[in-house]
Amino acid sequence: MDIYSKRRAQKIWSVLRFPLFLTGQRYISQAAAKIDVDFDYDGPLMKTEVPGPRSRCLLFVFSCKNAEAVHFFCNYEESRGNYLVDVDGNRMLDLYSQISSIPIGRRQLYQSFLFCPQASTFINRPALGILPPENFAERLKESLLSVAPKGLPQVITMSCGSCSNENAFKAIFMWYRNKERGHNNVTKEELESCMINQPPGCPDYAMLSFMGGFHGRTLGCLATTHSKAVHKLDIPSLDWPIAPFPRLKYPLEDFVKENQQEEARCLEEVEDLIVKYRKKKKIVAGIIIEPIQSEGGDNHASDDFFRKLRDIARKHGCAFLVDEVQTGGGCTGKFWAHEHWGLDDPADVVTFSKKMMTGGFFHKEEFRPNAPYRIFNTWLGDPSKNLMLAEVIKVIKREDLLNNATHAGKALLTGLLDLQARYPHLISRVRGRGTFCSFDTPNDATRNKLITIARNKGVVLGGCGDRSIRFRPTLIFKDHHAHLFLNIFSDILANFK
Amino acid sequence: MDIYSKRRAQKIWSVLRFPLFLTGQRYISQAAAKIDVDFDYDGPLMKTEVPGPRSRCLLFVFSCKNAEAVHFFCNYEESRGNYLVDVDGNRMLDLYSQISSIPIGYSHPSLIKLLQQPQNLSTFINRPALGILPPENFAERLKESLLSVAPKGLPQVITMSCGSCSNENAFKAIFMWYRNKERGHNNVTKEELESCMINQPPGCPDYAMLSFMGGFHGRTLGCLATTHSKAVHKLDIPSLDWPIAPFPRLKYPLEDFVKENQQEEARCLEEVEDLIVKYRKKKKIVAGIIIEPIQSEGGDNHASDDFFRKLRDIARKHGCAFLVDEVQTGGGCTGKFWAHEHWGLDDPADVVTFSKKMMTGGFFHKEEFRPNAPYRIFNTWLGDPSKNLMLAEVIKVIKREDLLNNATHAGKALLTGLLDLQARYPHLISRVRGRGTFCSFDTPNDATRNKLITIARNKGKKVCDRNETMNKRWI
Ligand SMILES: Cc1ncc(COP(=O)(O)O)c(C=O)c1O
Ligand SMILES: Cc1ncc(COP(=O)(O)O)c(C=O)c1O
Repeated sequence: MDIYSKRRAQKIWSVLRFPLFLTGQRYISQAAAKIDVDFDYDGPLMKTEVPGPRSRCLLFVFSCKNAEAVHFFCNYEESRGNYLVDVDGNRMLDLYSQISSIPIGRRQLYQSFLFCPQASTFINRPALGILPPENFAERLKESLLSVAPKGLPQVITMSCGSCSNENAFKAIFMWYRNKERGHNNVTKEELESCMINQPPGCPDYAMLSFMGGFHGRTLGCLATTHSKAVHKLDIPSLDWPIAPFPRLKYPLEDFVKENQQEEARCLEEVEDLIVKYRKKKKIVAGIIIEPIQSEGGDNHASDDFFRKLRDIARKHGCAFLVDEVQTGGGCTGKFWAHEHWGLDDPADVVTFSKKMMTGGFFHKEEFRPNAPYRIFNTWLGDPSKNLMLAEVIKVIKREDLLNNATHAGKALLTGLLDLQARYPHLISRVRGRGTFCSFDTPNDATRNKLITIARNKGVVLGGCGDRSIRFRPTLIFKDHHAHLFLNIFSDILANFK
Repeated sequence: MDIYSKRRAQKIWSVLRFPLFLTGQRYISQAAAKIDVDFDYDGPLMKTEVPGPRSRCLLFVFSCKNAEAVHFFCNYEESRGNYLVDVDGNRMLDLYSQISSIPIGYSHPSLIKLLQQPQNLSTFINRPALGILPPENFAERLKESLLSVAPKGLPQVITMSCGSCSNENAFKAIFMWYRNKERGHNNVTKEELESCMINQPPGCPDYAMLSFMGGFHGRTLGCLATTHSKAVHKLDIPSLDWPIAPFPRLKYPLEDFVKENQQEEARCLEEVEDLIVKYRKKKKIVAGIIIEPIQSEGGDNHASDDFFRKLRDIARKHGCAFLVDEVQTGGGCTGKFWAHEHWGLDDPADVVTFSKKMMTGGFFHKEEFRPNAPYRIFNTWLGDPSKNLMLAEVIKVIKREDLLNNATHAGKALLTGLLDLQARYPHLISRVRGRGTFCSFDTPNDATRNKLITIARNKGKKVCDRNETMNKRWI
């Protein structure tokens, strides 16, 4: 950062902080000036509103891509640490991190990348399933296998979150069918009928999913996604069972009994659905669930709920698939969010992507496909992403970023609860685990207005569900970033009309 | 390459070539010694059989990955140009190129240069959520890369991470387009919005994609419903009742079976129309037709340009979208950038999907297939700008070195040679066919095929295995 803009930044900041002192409100930003990661910026720096003139101009010339969802254009060369810089030179504290897919902040990989001659890994992309590079096993051990959830020693990589879930479904269906068969002999009828999409070769199996869940947008995943109509409308789907997800009342300590009843009701419905579908000859081979329903509005359930759900899955012989695409990677304070539950019997399959830089899934030994090419595609992931992931995991361990997520998350949540107490008409249902926090706003319009104002004050926030705001910072989001945000946001709320 | 191994290579080659001269057979490898790409090796170099001891040892320690399909382990640092080097130091002429996904050879200097430029670093390590926060140069890079090779009439493009995702999302774009056409307006009813959340019509209409027997379009659930090449891909996975038409089974040599082949193609086209009508009667509407220009995984099955033109007409006549899957055929190996450009369509295809050699997945489409709201065709990453960066360079190289013409010429040399071999070994080689370097032939059976592949591999050539078919892929 050049001195000129540094000076400007300080000037802007002095203006922004001033009202806080004056009004005598709780000075929650005591640590906000601290900069402990030396490649991080020291604060937001806004030059225009967002999207600024350059972003708008690019949006205009950009009409040959489906760009309706584009927020603004970014300058990734200048983005560093917790800060995203846009093409207009605005620098924003990024609490959304590319829909939660940046693990340790921009530029952290820079050093290790520049000095190792890994060019081949980036430009010679192999068909991993048939011709892996020599160091592939080694790299898997350094990266994915070093963080494998307990009890799931097997892993396979994929290119994205949706592919990971699709292939996890397939592994589950194969496992279930083999269990049903009881032997390995496939009949001629099965082999012939599967070629024309018919049973018995293509059996009438289903995955049970939850209302409000999100598991991706390809056809199979989409049949288990139920968060917003815009994802599903006009796409043919499958008659698979959908159970209700608990709708907890907050603050939790005031509604213990109600919430327990609500969770019991949902679990009962799960069992009923499995039985009901079995009666109409549609067999539930697996249950898929997110540890925290993310796209659906950051809906939480108790650890007890998940433990009981795991028991139901076992009781009915269904596989238990935990989708950690958004929750995995450390942001909840544990590497995998489902580790909070304390399961006796681990999940059967755990899918990941986003922060893990590569998609894929972990699974128990018994879910290993019984023949080559059954779980397969051209690339099966990308070794250049494993290379980076290995580095990311080293940084997470070295800098103790899981503990950091717990601490920074606590600072954020405490601050949000405080704001909720002061602005109950704007903020409700504050909830979170680690930095994976969120709150509700009264409605869609208020939510979007808050996001826009925050952006123009230098904070990137993301929405989810119909009126929630969610926090998805990187793992190098520290206490002082939390205070920095709370400072700005408290200001916004004080002046919100 | 060090001098020592160069000398060894020459020694090996002199041994190998010797019998050819002695027996006085046609010397079909006259140009084999020529090295015109300076980063390429000058020939195979075998040190062990393949898989060698090191590959086998790695396979053994590798038991925590699903590794049953692994052929052998590779040394990509040493692989260059047309040559794949394995961990035992064997260097093989690669005619399979990572299931047809390496466009301009291993470790191309132009790509290495890209990586060495510090200004590109950010592209490799900061992967954005492209759909919402694209980098500044994204439009520019698209223009240099994908849009510069867009098929005629398809000005729109969207990137994806792999071939299956590309097809899945192309299906979705087609379903949305069809439904909007049916609606005739943009107003969605409350019933539609509510029913779609629980997977039911009218929100999730009973639409279908028509596909062809022997076709391969990927392995995710939607794609798999249109894939019909091998049981191993499909067994035990629930599927959809979507119509499946027969793909012409041509007789070779083509010039001897003109009439039979015409009849065969006409029969298949008739079946397509019948299926569309039949499915419509049972309230399942065919919204689109998906086809490969050459059925690749299914055994390199070709059909005439005329067949595809007529199929396009049928699609239009019945209001179905026409989706051409160029995941394997695209990128230049047939001598044109897109294989379907050989057909000479009046009305272009509606959607064309790509991946593999294009380094990124995605699809081109007509303006009218653009989703009518944001987030309808979407995912977290929507491709990867680092792949676009490399693709831009690849396309530059393809243009600069005139590699499309090269594919035509090299393909001709290959095909002529194969026809010659077929004439001499008809009991081993039949149905020689191809376009550009996208060539193949049949062997009498699976066992012979696999034996030939293993022998070739140990002689330093790597080819792929398909249904009774041996394909040769390169560019
Ligand atoms: C829980 C969950 N599963 C799956 C996905 C799909 O991942 P992708 O967008 O990479 O296909 C997402 C993406 O947001 C997700 O949050
Ligand atoms: C024609 C065709 N379509 C789709 C695919 C699927 O691509 P991917 O393996 O990247 O999912 C393939 C892969 O072999 C293919 O050949």
